Amino acid sequence: MDNFIEIKDVAKTYWSDDGTSETKVVLPLSMTIAEGEMVMFLGPSGCGKTTLMRIVGGLETPDQGTIHLHGDRLAGPDRRRGMVFQSYSSYPWLSVRDNIKFGTRYRKDITAQEKEEVTDHYLNMVGLAQYAGFYTNRISGGMRQRVAIARTLASSPDVLLMDEPFGALDAQTREYLQFQLMDINKAEKKTTIFVTHDVEEAILLANRIVIFSSRPARVVREIHVDEILPMESRRNGTADMDRFFKLRAEILDIIRAEYAHTLEGV
Amino acid sequence: MFKSLFAFRKPLSRRTDLALGIIGFALFLCAWEVTARSGAIRPEFLPSPVAVVQAFIGLFVERDFSSDIVISVGRVWFAFLLSMIVAIPLGLLMSTYRFVGAILEPFVDFVRYLPVPALVPLLVIWFGVGETSKIAVLWMGTFFQLILMISDDTKRVPVEFIESGQTLGGSNGQIMRHVIIPAALPNMVDSLRITMGWCWTYLIVAEIVAANSGIGHVIWSLRRFVKTPEVMAGIITIGIIGLLTDQAFRYAHARLFSYLRR
Ligand SMILES: Nc1ncnc2c1ncn2[C@@H]1O[C@H](COP(=O)(O)OP(=O)(O)OP(=O)(O)O)[C@@H](O)[C@H]1O
Ligand SMILES: [Mg+2]
Repeated sequence: MDNFIEIKDVAKTYWSDDGTSETKVVLPLSMTIAEGEMVMFLGPSGCGKTTLMRIVGGLETPDQGTIHLHGDRLAGPDRRRGMVFQSYSSYPWLSVRDNIKFGTRYRKDITAQEKEEVTDHYLNMVGLAQYAGFYTNRISGGMRQRVAIARTLASSPDVLLMDEPFGALDAQTREYLQFQLMDINKAEKKTTIFVTHDVEEAILLANRIVIFSSRPARVVREIHVDEILPMESRRNGTADMDRFFKLRAEILDIIRAEYAHTLEGV
Repeated sequence: MFKSLFAFRKPLSRRTDLALGIIGFALFLCAWEVTARSGAIRPEFLPSPVAVVQAFIGLFVERDFSSDIVISVGRVWFAFLLSMIVAIPLGLLMSTYRFVGAILEPFVDFVRYLPVPALVPLLVIWFGVGETSKIAVLWMGTFFQLILMISDDTKRVPVEFIESGQTLGGSNGQIMRHVIIPAALPNMVDSLRITMGWCWTYLIVAEIVAANSGIGHVIWSLRRFVKTPEVMAGIITIGIIGLLTDQAFRYAHARLFSYLRR
């Protein structure tokens, strides 16, 4: 399936709070994403990445355009698109394990027994088995983010939407989670849209990088990273560093140019 | 020892907390005793603490004060539960469906600012001088406050909690039961605790009006005979019951929501 997700002519405009001026956030924009693909969104701050992702997630209604998943037209949020937020969204009244189990709560495709198994599977995958019984405000930020990721995976979404999920984390935790995500990706081939500001993170994880213009968001460049740096080489640390640095410099140049537009617009 | 008392924005041990609370009360009592003994204020106005304690015991022995207490506690709880049963669902609806909020908020705000004592004559005309009008006074004083507090408590549930629940596949009803209510519950219990306090405040207003039972009635009727120690004992009784109820709420809160402790 090449057009697993099909974004067609999607546009969104916000009105300022006093209703006098409008902000075009997303221009009519079209994009397709293949099944199992990991797409990283890069772009200047405020360009509309979160908005586009929330539209895909059904949490925001576009002014025009459609989103299809597997040929089904989407409207409103549901279990097919799991979202991991930048802020910690795990539930404080539940233990780590119960939070992850919450991901299976509304699934009808598996039995109660299987729900327990799925919960334990993801609990172990994110390395939190030792903390199963802890409330989530007693664990660190990085652990909480792992809980949120495991909870979303436990709900078995067709698409994983991650909005700067590692943005607030320290470098070590971030790196650890990046590699965990690569492992999950290898094991499950989950279709993923991942927003980040970190160019190296994008290169490390992406099958494809999509770079957006300054607001209103328009795709300025798409880079198929697999063709430059094979995924396996990135995973096992044998990636060609010359190519890596060249690619990074190229991406940074594009983003800087776009960021300059942002400032001109002010 | 003393330095540890001034730990900047740090909690103290429970024993220290308790000891300090008792010291606070003791200081107040000492100051009161000293002032009363000095004779600077006439005893009709300021009886000594000892006289008040004697009056307190006397209330139980000479009048059937414990049944007055039971009646007052019953009224407060009845009105409180009645407020709660109506305010919680309506508050939830108000914060969930904007149209319910749009209809109710201006009206609730209007009633909320009406002084409850001023409503007493009206309530007596409507409900007579029996139990109903007393419950109505307490209910009027708390319901309109509580409904807004419950609505605010639920509005403050982080939108990420709700949106995560939706992307995990929860329906609106499921999100309400499994996410919004558990997330708002600690604040709701606090709102209930505060409302309970107001119930006791309005109790006196309710029981002054043609009542022949209850703590408020006892206080009000003894006032006519300038039985200041008894009046004070009555007021202190309310304070003690209030304090105990409040502590019970706090204890339940700490037990139920232990996850909030860091
Ligand atoms: N609910 C809203 N109402 C009005 N304007 C909004 C709303 N949400 C977003 N915007 C505006 O839309 C623009 C794009 O926001 P968005 O959050 O999508 O950007 P972003 O690319 O995710 O930025 P960042 O990289 O900083 O997270 C911003 O200018 C923002 O002010
Ligand atoms: Mg964003």
